[in-house]
Amino acid sequence: MTDVTIEFRDVSKRYGTLVANDHLSLAIRKGELMTLLGPSGCGKTTALRCLTGYIRPDEGRIFIDGQDVTDVPTHQRELGMVFQNFALFPHMTVQDNVGFPLMIRNLSKAERAQRVAQALRLVRLEGYESHYPRQLSGGQQQRVGLARALVYRPKVLLLDEPLSNLDAKLREEMRFEIKEVVTRLEITAVYVTHDQAEALALSDRVAIMNRGRLEQVGTPEEIYEHPQSRFVAEFIGLSNFLEGYVQAVDGDTMVVSVGGLQMRIPVLAEAGPGQRVLLFLRPNEVELLRPDDPGGANVFDARVEKVTYLGDTLDYRLTFGQGLTLRVQSDAQRRFGQGAPVRLRFPRVRCWAITGN
Amino acid sequence: MGTRTADMMRFWRTHASRLITLFLLLPALAGFFGLFFYPMLLTVILSFRPEGQAIGWTLENYTRFLADPDGRWVILLTFILSLGGTALSVLLSVPLALILREKVRGHRFYRLMVLVPLVVPGLIGALGLLLFWGTRGWFNLFLLQFVPFVQRPVAVNYTMHGLIMFYVWLYFPYTCITTLSSLESLDRSIEEAGEVSGATRWQVLRHIVLPLITPGILAGSVLTFMAAFGAFSVPLIAGGNYRPLAVEIYKQISVPIPARWSAASAIAIVMGVLQVIFLSLYMRFVRRAGGTGGPS
Repeated sequence: MTDVTIEFRDVSKRYGTLVANDHLSLAIRKGELMTLLGPSGCGKTTALRCLTGYIRPDEGRIFIDGQDVTDVPTHQRELGMVFQNFALFPHMTVQDNVGFPLMIRNLSKAERAQRVAQALRLVRLEGYESHYPRQLSGGQQQRVGLARALVYRPKVLLLDEPLSNLDAKLREEMRFEIKEVVTRLEITAVYVTHDQAEALALSDRVAIMNRGRLEQVGTPEEIYEHPQSRFVAEFIGLSNFLEGYVQAVDGDTMVVSVGGLQMRIPVLAEAGPGQRVLLFLRPNEVELLRPDDPGGANVFDARVEKVTYLGDTLDYRLTFGQGLTLRVQSDAQRRFGQGAPVRLRFPRVRCWAITGN
Repeated sequence: MGTRTADMMRFWRTHASRLITLFLLLPALAGFFGLFFYPMLLTVILSFRPEGQAIGWTLENYTRFLADPDGRWVILLTFILSLGGTALSVLLSVPLALILREKVRGHRFYRLMVLVPLVVPGLIGALGLLLFWGTRGWFNLFLLQFVPFVQRPVAVNYTMHGLIMFYVWLYFPYTCITTLSSLESLDRSIEEAGEVSGATRWQVLRHIVLPLITPGILAGSVLTFMAAFGAFSVPLIAGGNYRPLAVEIYKQISVPIPARWSAASAIAIVMGVLQVIFLSLYMRFVRRAGGTGGPS
């Protein structure tokens, strides 16, 4: 396990009856950018604070570079952190802000100046040394924050929703900038966000959290293509869910009855006949055909309820079967108006067994 | 013609609004004149009248007070008491406010306790303090009883350090509240950033928290200082031979018969002028100290 930089081992943290982290176990590899993703209150910030030492977990241990740091105070953990609200020191110039970690480490003035200049070059803020934080734009302030976090070459870079206080366009720009800096320095980074697009674009791996627990850990592709739970599927990208039950199993396909229709999908190992299942379809993975196109397996008649023009795509709300609704996005090449009859083809349907009630 | 009517309308409208403004200002103006301007004017005139006379002009009231070593001592004493009291209050406030903001168990109760001196009338508080710190008060009883090598009671009442201590008791709530509010307006993530950067709690306090709250504390302490400068009832009953300006003024009109109104007025004017000079110097200093954060 030498390539593991950070490890959460069975970490729990409660606030009264609220469980912020529920037996969280997660290993973050050296040089990887891991995103903790989840809705607000899912415990991702608590997990990050456990890592900085600002919060002490009730149970479990935290390791950085193989060393148990659970009882190591924050200032000895050799971390760099970028904050949502920038958290720059308002009474110090950019130079002093970035130089602060070096000043604390008693580096000589000359070396400080040299490393600050290097860090500012990294975030493209040369020439702003004597500015005060309030004289800078939000994006510039966050770059100062990034420079301050990286200037002493920490073992780990932590980013706590660093882009959510920036406007949309800048956010996208900064996203790539952060990714580039992190990749170039080959630093292990933990990135906390609630923005799934950000997580998919930036991360080497994503850990999706819900109610203090890990829902799924994987590469952005794995998470998007093979969500392991309804929560993950709903949280990442747009999704349709249809409920049905298995009618028959036939070799490696099974027939699922959904709203009076029969759908043939790859067999689910644990699903025998009668098993209730949840079908999951991405809106861009449904084909829209003309009503006179030939039918076949998994082709159904439907009606357009509502169309929304989104520029490069059209967003349809369709009804089919017995009271089933579906959201479909397709390119603007082939258009259907409101009330028009269409045919749907499902080339790919993912499915989970529903257990319990 | 139409435009002329419109012009007139506009003219009347502005005129009317000005009249209304004036009308609404009247009570305030009357109050200002009757309660502030007229008494001030009277004091200024009186301070230049020969003592006990209704006519004539003289500088004697000023020269007598300022040339007298006792008079200059009164001025110095007033500064020592008010500056000392304020500075000590601030020094005590910072650690206490640092504890109170942490929302420790019972912090609401402690916060209330800090405010007690504001609620208790100064006079009553001072009497209580005199009893507690007196040669036969609990403080000295405790010392004599339990602390070895204390042979005789320690004098607190009617001494300079005792009086400064009473000032601290009286003005501590003000400095504590301003310090606490400066602290609470700080963004905690700034301190977190300091700690993650490798600074110990103490270094965070020294390099980040204190520089950031100092301007607020200094600005807040001006009010405390001004109040302490004009302190009257506590030094009157607990000061003994230490009489700051306000008490000295009162002495001029209460002890001699007939009362020396002109001397009292002159001292009052001196006090007012000193206060204004000191305030403007202090504000300039605070602005410079607060200006370390660059242009705002």
